[in-house]
Amino acid sequence: MGEVILTMKGIDKSFPGVHALDHVDLEIRKGEVHALMGENGAGKSTLMKVLTGIYKKDSGTITYEGKEVEFHNTREAQDAGVVIVHQELNMLGHLTVAQNIFIGREFKKGIRIDDKKMNEEAKKLFDRMHIDIDPTETMSNLTVGKQQMCEIAKAISHKAKVIIFDEPSAALTEAEIEELFKIIRDLRAQDLGIVYISHRMDEIKVITDRVTVMRDGTYVGTLITKDSTKDDIINMMVGRVIYEDPKTKNMTPPGAPVVLKVDHLNAGKMVQDVSFELHKGEVLGFSGLMGAGRTETMRALFGADPIDSGDIYVNGQKVTIKSPQDAVKYGIGYLSEDRKRFGIVVQKTVAENTTMADLDEFANGPFINKKKENEVAQKFVESLATKTPGVDQLVVNLSGGNQQKVVIAKWLTRNCDILIFDEPTRGIDVGAKNEIYKLMNQLAAEGKAIIMVSSEMTEILRMSDRIVVMCEGKKTGELDISEATQENIMNMATREIE
Amino acid sequence: MESIKQNPLVKKVGFNRIVLCIVLLLMYGLFCALTGGAFFGLRRILSALNYAYFLGFLSLAVTFVIATGGIDFSIGPVMFCCALIAGFCFTIYGVPMPAALLISLAVGLVFGIFNGYLVAYWDVPSFITSIASMNIAKGVASVFTKTQSVSWPQSTQEGGWFRRLVTFEEIPVGLIILLVVAVICAVILNQTKMGRYILSLGSNKEAVRLSGVNVKKWEMSAYVLCGLLVGISAIFFVGAYTTVQPGYGDTYNNEAIAGCVMGGTSMAGGLASISGTIIGVFIISLLQEGIMALGLDKNLQLIITGLIVIVAVFADVVARRRKN
Amino acid sequence: MANKVSKTAGTNKSFIDRMGGQQFIVLILVIVMFIFFSAMSPGFRKYTTVVSILDYSYYIALMAIGVTFPLLTAGVDLSIGTGLVCYSLIGGLLVRQYGMPVAVGMLVTVLIGLIFGIINGCLVALMDLPPFLATLCTCMITRGFGAMVVGGYGIPWPAAAQEGGWFRSIFKINVGGQNIPIGFIWIILLVIVMSFVLNHTKMGRYTRAIGSNKEATRLSGVNVKFYHIMAYVICGLFAGLAAIAYSAIFATVQPGSGAGFELDAIGGAIVGGVSMSGAVGSIWGTLIGVFVICLLKTGLPFIGLTANWQQIITGLVLIAAVLFDILKRKKEAGK
Repeated sequence: MGEVILTMKGIDKSFPGVHALDHVDLEIRKGEVHALMGENGAGKSTLMKVLTGIYKKDSGTITYEGKEVEFHNTREAQDAGVVIVHQELNMLGHLTVAQNIFIGREFKKGIRIDDKKMNEEAKKLFDRMHIDIDPTETMSNLTVGKQQMCEIAKAISHKAKVIIFDEPSAALTEAEIEELFKIIRDLRAQDLGIVYISHRMDEIKVITDRVTVMRDGTYVGTLITKDSTKDDIINMMVGRVIYEDPKTKNMTPPGAPVVLKVDHLNAGKMVQDVSFELHKGEVLGFSGLMGAGRTETMRALFGADPIDSGDIYVNGQKVTIKSPQDAVKYGIGYLSEDRKRFGIVVQKTVAENTTMADLDEFANGPFINKKKENEVAQKFVESLATKTPGVDQLVVNLSGGNQQKVVIAKWLTRNCDILIFDEPTRGIDVGAKNEIYKLMNQLAAEGKAIIMVSSEMTEILRMSDRIVVMCEGKKTGELDISEATQENIMNMATREIE
Repeated sequence: MESIKQNPLVKKVGFNRIVLCIVLLLMYGLFCALTGGAFFGLRRILSALNYAYFLGFLSLAVTFVIATGGIDFSIGPVMFCCALIAGFCFTIYGVPMPAALLISLAVGLVFGIFNGYLVAYWDVPSFITSIASMNIAKGVASVFTKTQSVSWPQSTQEGGWFRRLVTFEEIPVGLIILLVVAVICAVILNQTKMGRYILSLGSNKEAVRLSGVNVKKWEMSAYVLCGLLVGISAIFFVGAYTTVQPGYGDTYNNEAIAGCVMGGTSMAGGLASISGTIIGVFIISLLQEGIMALGLDKNLQLIITGLIVIVAVFADVVARRRKN
Repeated sequence: MANKVSKTAGTNKSFIDRMGGQQFIVLILVIVMFIFFSAMSPGFRKYTTVVSILDYSYYIALMAIGVTFPLLTAGVDLSIGTGLVCYSLIGGLLVRQYGMPVAVGMLVTVLIGLIFGIINGCLVALMDLPPFLATLCTCMITRGFGAMVVGGYGIPWPAAAQEGGWFRSIFKINVGGQNIPIGFIWIILLVIVMSFVLNHTKMGRYTRAIGSNKEATRLSGVNVKFYHIMAYVICGLFAGLAAIAYSAIFATVQPGSGAGFELDAIGGAIVGGVSMSGAVGSIWGTLIGVFVICLLKTGLPFIGLTANWQQIITGLVLIAAVLFDILKRKKEAGK
């Protein structure tokens, strides 16, 4: 480890309603790999976005190469040598590797783009990284791993001095990760400062020199990796304080029948051999880190994405679910994590959204019985305590929590017995959160079976009767609430797969 | 300005529609003034209405497609295709008039099904589907009629009774039918499952699909209804203008779309107004009549409607940008 | 096909892919069609037929080369057909009515094309209008504008024997009673030039990049708006050139015509492998695709189908080509 190249001190950043970063510190040295860890929503990405100029900080200082700096956009950061390798790749799939690396700053010979020189330079970059990629290959023909290498090559070609890897290994195979680590070690040897954001504990141990842990937008501490254990880090990540009371025992009535059974479900790369059972009156929590395949499992189960193989049983009957239409027919309702895109039609009214899934019930032949529609919508507005001036209000004008209630009303109108809540409280303020929790408990008590996908540990521990933990597309554990702790869930969620 | 918009009465009728009505009246006044009063009177209005009938049906037709977030450039030529095939059947093959009228509707329906199926079930972009079917319509009509123009019977001739659908003893029956159909369209759009699903999927197709709705079926239904209305528009076109020539009709696309987007239907889908469309159609028709009365080049109409669409769509783009 | 620098990338590709993929198949299709029509009709097996196919090909090919650029940005230009007629009418009017030299008329023709290209580009790139709608409006506007300027009458550019008729020999010269279609040479030259522009200049590179991922291109520091406009400017320029070709081949230009020409050009480009979703395609492919369209146009009458059938078949070919493209992309996405 060499001298300090980058210091972030007392960085503060608020969004409306959220204090995203609360006086966070970070120090990067030349020739080190510095892990940045924390649960989902701890503020890691926000911190990096402040650094690279995507967000403007409210207060605090950034010192880079001995001078105080403030980048206004990624381009400025890039030019100064601070480059981020994104999780989702910013690639032009139809162009070649070399063309991608040098887009926007092509070498020229007169008016002609000097592709030959670009290919040679790209080749040199790859040689320096000791990897074998043909610069003339079309980008979309490469594997995700190789595309990532190209992003790294692009970063290096910017004469980067600090490279930030945002969950680089999420989509890579074991062999590709090995290759990535080799490159990172090379870069370290060349005295670059490297920030490595990852959830994988074992990787952190292998590749990083120091670890900075964040929690709820605050700085927790920095450790020397080789002097600390996995438990040390997990303890720092989860903290000691639990804000809400966790459930202590399984509230499902004993002997409750199985209403949904999923058997060896496979769907794409993110859902591999997932099996579980759901009982009447139960809240089944799905825990895991970002990209664990929980949402993908739910979408496949709901028929939103195609299933490769596996069986689904509803009330003991084997069913074929090929589209959401089928799923709804069997009484499954899905509340998406992304309400605006997948949950509600924002330009329509509360009443119209409420009856969306069950319009046949409200129709006399082709005509909609608006009176009945409004009555039912009004009933749910009251029973769910939705705050809206009226059922004829456009949903776009409601707050997040109330929009969520409209989606719940939609599935209750349809009388679905199995409800899948995917991140039910994302983007919802604390007061409304508690209401949603109360509602879910009430629904479970009424005999609905609920699956709750959540990235918030406190939410999982507070709501679930049982917990399924997923990691990288596979189910890695199942716990009864009585035996669940933050630590053992986190352990399962970060477990490396053999 | 804001206070006017917030007035409950204005809100109920719709600010946009009030502005359009004022524009309509101002235009009428302007044309009267420019022609030294010659424009004033029932004759011009009836003549403008003749134009408004078929254009009204066309505009209503494309309103449903635009509500789904799609577009149909084939409506004009398909209208001509309907009129040519049905008229040819009547004049050459001696098909009785009621059957000829039904043939017109059937041809429109076939094109609607063709467009809708390709767009909804095969994901072909709607503008590609419709420029292809535009050419197919022109070609089919030319082949069917052997490139002859077709004249529908005069009111005194056999089968000429169909003209009473347009005017009957100075009564503008066409206007009544157009308004009745417009009301039916408004009911379909606002009171039925079909309309609900069309508007909803135009606004957020994926959310509607994830509600367990057969979005493909309902998306296609908009095109089918569009086809049917185009079939009706053909009857009113020949009812007013008698003769149709193969190979034409595409200029009416833009006028129909102009009427629709002026009336407040958003090109992005999900938002449509039948009454707005009808007022928009009256404006276009009055414009056409005014240009004729002033002795201006009728091609001016093409340019003006082109500009109207650009302005109306740009206003919609800006409004949406501001919302985000 | 985007780069011919190194061929090492092609080692694991199939024979057809190495020969240029879809373009290769379409080239074979052109040959098969030619053989088919020749076999079916003795009238088709004549030198004059070849000349007339080429006559048709010039203006369609020029429009198609131009429209390839908006298509590559995942846009489209529907105004090229009526635009062509409008530009030609105005240029012709200057020559006929105002006695200007033919060269000036030609220059003005191209210049107006360029101006409408700029207008289209601004509507799409600056005002964010959907390309098909914006260009449909300019389609109507050019149609009305052209007809208004000439007052509704057809414009005959000078015939070959008249003064100023020299411009017709740009495309066809008469040697010993035999017509030599030298226009084909110009087309090939322009294809070579535009292939160079597309594959080896910033202009072409960014056109493709915008079609591939506009946002990523913008984040790479490229002036996306400028290059997006330029794609339409190139298209307008080529519509202007197509107007000259059209004026030189046909005796008169009729106001109000031109609708549907754009379909021949867009159809040609898509048949030749240009993807409606942008970024994929080549100028050579477009040229080959245009010949499929031209063979249909000229060949069908020889087997007893009227010109009207050609309209229907072009429509169906366009849909087939787009469907092929959609299915191909679906397969790739599933991979």
